[in-house]
Amino acid sequence: MSTDSVLWCAGLRKVYRSGFWRIPFVGLESLDLEVERGEIFGFIGPNGAGKTTTIKCLMGLQHATAGQARLLGQDFRRPDARARVGFLPERPYFYQHLTAREFLHFYARLFDLDRGVRTRRIGELLERVDLNRFADVPLRAYSKGMLQRAGLAQALINDPELVVLDEPMSGLDPLGRALVRDVIFEERERGRTVFFSSHILADVELIADRVGILVRGELRGCGSMGELVGRQVRHVDCTFQIAQDHVLPGTVVRREGLTVTQRLDPDEVNPTIDAVRGAGGTVLEVHQARQTLEALLVDEMERANPVDKKRLGVLN
Amino acid sequence: MSTRIRARSQLFALATNTFREAIRDRILYSLLFFAGLLLLVALAMQEFTIGDQDKVVRSAALGAIRLFGSVISIFLGIGLVYKEIERKTIYTIASKPLSRWLFVLGKYLGLMGVIAVQLMLMALLYVVLLTVQQGFPQSGVFLSWGLLYLELALLTAWALLFSTYSSPTVATAFALSIYVIGHLADDIALFGRQSDSESVRGLAEVVYWVLPNFEVFNAAPLAAHNLPVPTEMITGAVAYGLGYTAVVLVIAMMVFSTRDFK
Repeated sequence: MSTDSVLWCAGLRKVYRSGFWRIPFVGLESLDLEVERGEIFGFIGPNGAGKTTTIKCLMGLQHATAGQARLLGQDFRRPDARARVGFLPERPYFYQHLTAREFLHFYARLFDLDRGVRTRRIGELLERVDLNRFADVPLRAYSKGMLQRAGLAQALINDPELVVLDEPMSGLDPLGRALVRDVIFEERERGRTVFFSSHILADVELIADRVGILVRGELRGCGSMGELVGRQVRHVDCTFQIAQDHVLPGTVVRREGLTVTQRLDPDEVNPTIDAVRGAGGTVLEVHQARQTLEALLVDEMERANPVDKKRLGVLN
Repeated sequence: MSTRIRARSQLFALATNTFREAIRDRILYSLLFFAGLLLLVALAMQEFTIGDQDKVVRSAALGAIRLFGSVISIFLGIGLVYKEIERKTIYTIASKPLSRWLFVLGKYLGLMGVIAVQLMLMALLYVVLLTVQQGFPQSGVFLSWGLLYLELALLTAWALLFSTYSSPTVATAFALSIYVIGHLADDIALFGRQSDSESVRGLAEVVYWVLPNFEVFNAAPLAAHNLPVPTEMITGAVAYGLGYTAVVLVIAMMVFSTRDFK
């Protein structure tokens, strides 16, 4: 474990038991993970991969079956390990009878913040999440987006060093997502660490410094966007005006008369262009499709279970 | 910022939030309305009663307070923890630097605050109406309410225990069973002692000692007869009530500490 590690876990495992016969179901296989100070770490995976299970175990909502974890250097099983951690669960639910201001005071008191600190910080946070106009309205009157913003404010009430967000962009409109993204960037600017799970991969690509890919309870890849996706070319779509009908390598994407678009592997591109030109044809367009997080995730899902990918119908 | 967090502050936050939630709940006011109505009916019985009219009226009114106190304890107690899990409000609370046992204790203390307020309101109504009708009540009645509060504290602890692991329907059934058995504890013990069967005697003895005996707290008949409440009864009930409630609460905390929130 590095000294700058904010979140660390080794062999973290969760087995659920359900029904009368207590049939076991593995929610998390054996997770090794390390999140460094000051980074934005995106935790991705399909539904049921174990993202929320991991977060719930780390946040003390579920008991891990085995393994070790540390939050800011402290054993995760100790409640005080979460003293400098902020957490926003997926689809948060709050006390409907409270106004946003009362709600934030309640959470601030759970962190034992002085009244002065509480009042100042609540004012700042309400401003930051754009809820100050509705601060004294009961939460039962809030929309989903407003509740998510109130939830974000409670996650930051203790000025946390580590912010853990479970699907923070889920169900939000573009403005709401932009606000969440801004808050995440601001936290990193302030030297804080943000660990968030998401299945909205475009957001992860945009925000995360590093990404962990979880499939079927196993970490299938972990690294910076550059390391995972890099500048690797996935395939090349070449459009040719061919002089005569002849067989080209790769697969046909589109064909209109003698104008053909072929999907080629990167090493097939130059020989194919030479062959087309040699036969009197011309090259109209060459488009490189780079590796994306989505493609990477789909590849990992297929490796974990080939049926998944076919069922999803996402092969290309 | 210091990360030292005082459990006392967290306990206070949880208890006041529970109190606030209950007093903003319309169900509590509906129950209090019916409690007041029943109390009025009991006091109006004077017109239709023969014999020692004053005593019958006092007895019926004190019985009404006891019944509604128990109903409120059960109905608020069974939802206390379950609602937090069902509505998922527990996610943002249990993820704070907060021990699970503290959460259970905070919720319990908040509810006991609500029960104290509703008991005081019913007692105030009783005192006002009785003063108009029969004159200011004797001190025994106030002592009987003190013991009733201990009884409700124990009943609420049981309801809370059920609430930590079962749905409100099951918890209500269990809590009502405890309420009925607790009021029949002496009869169950007597029935057991008179039985010829060794196993029935043993079972009745176990039930008598393990399950609560709410009659220990029942000073209402003495208060209705304007008789003093013996000191031995008060000390016995206080020791029994506090000790037993503490044990039930510790079990509730232990059960809650093992739970996974899915």
